[in-house]
Amino acid sequence: MADTPEPQAALTTSTPTDKDASKICVLLNATGNVPIIKKRTWTVDPNKTVSWIQKFIHKYLKLDANEQIFLYVNQTFAPAPDQIIKNLYECHGTNGKLVLYYCKNQAWG
Amino acid sequence: MAHDREVLRMIWEGQIGICFQADRDEIVGIKPEPFYLMISRLSYLPLVTDKVRKYFSRYISAEHQDGAVWFDFNGTPLRLHYPIGVLYDLLHPDEDSTPWCLTIHFSKFPEETLVKLNSKELLESHYMSCLKEADVLKHRGLVISAMQKKDHNQLWLGLVNDKFDQFWAVNRRLMEPYGDQESFKHIPLRLYADDDFTYTQKLISPITESGQKKSLADLMAELSTPVLKAVGCRTHGIDLHEETQLQWLSEHLSYPDNFLHLSVDYKTL
Repeated sequence: MADTPEPQAALTTSTPTDKDASKICVLLNATGNVPIIKKRTWTVDPNKTVSWIQKFIHKYLKLDANEQIFLYVNQTFAPAPDQIIKNLYECHGTNGKLVLYYCKNQAWG
Repeated sequence: MAHDREVLRMIWEGQIGICFQADRDEIVGIKPEPFYLMISRLSYLPLVTDKVRKYFSRYISAEHQDGAVWFDFNGTPLRLHYPIGVLYDLLHPDEDSTPWCLTIHFSKFPEETLVKLNSKELLESHYMSCLKEADVLKHRGLVISAMQKKDHNQLWLGLVNDKFDQFWAVNRRLMEPYGDQESFKHIPLRLYADDDFTYTQKLISPITESGQKKSLADLMAELSTPVLKAVGCRTHGIDLHEETQLQWLSEHLSYPDNFLHLSVDYKTL
């Protein structure tokens, strides 16, 4: 459980601890022909990588091993798989959230 | 504006002497001689090692010939999607005249530590993403999105084929402030503090709150904390002067991915 993002709701029903406070709020948007994850807002450890999020989505949606998840920041660029969430949030976060788009095909080149 | 063309030229022409050696466990029969090559600091390992791969593939067993090639320095796997100059400066900070000895591997790709951006196509798409991110920071993405596919190709081919004029004819547009602005909105910056390859990105404006152009000293003050003080910055093997303006640094000393890659020295207070 420690290794999956936590739904945002978990934060609002309990007092955030210091550990939670340092986490980053990530908004996951489906785009194109990909199943939707109902819970869109998650809190993620700042040092987790882009590939960790991709694997999480892949597992959550129970995709086939040969299916790929592409991630985009603000519908603009695809971050490197080893980029950490903290760097993306620092530079591209808006209103306290990092907005990521995910899809099964390359969307924004 | 990028007017200091000689500076751009010198940065472009920066090279590293590399000595490639085979992985002893992969060699069948006679041990090959090392392979020496002068390589551009600005390029990426998969773009400049076709000849190296071809040379060593004659000495390794047939089963590994088509394997995913990777490199290490003293046991540290080298990230294929980092500019070579960045790797060198992180792992070999004391500039000397001896070649940098790397080992080439054809098997056991370390998937846990290295991103498998090992083909020219994958690297190209990674490179384009870096340009887009940098342009989002500099110009809200307006310049790169107004470019055509042929401009993107020209940038990539200029880098791959080491053609300065071809590359800068397009990159110039990315390296100018937008419209009537005097500077970029933010400076695309990757900051390395030690040799573990992880970097920090921060949203850094080239202008102070009072409207002055920021210098490197201002940046170092911004990066310092009550316990850690930034005391020096290096890129392309050069120690940078504190009074250099950030905007100028970004326009002239950025790598072709349009990011400044700075190694920062910190002192514990």
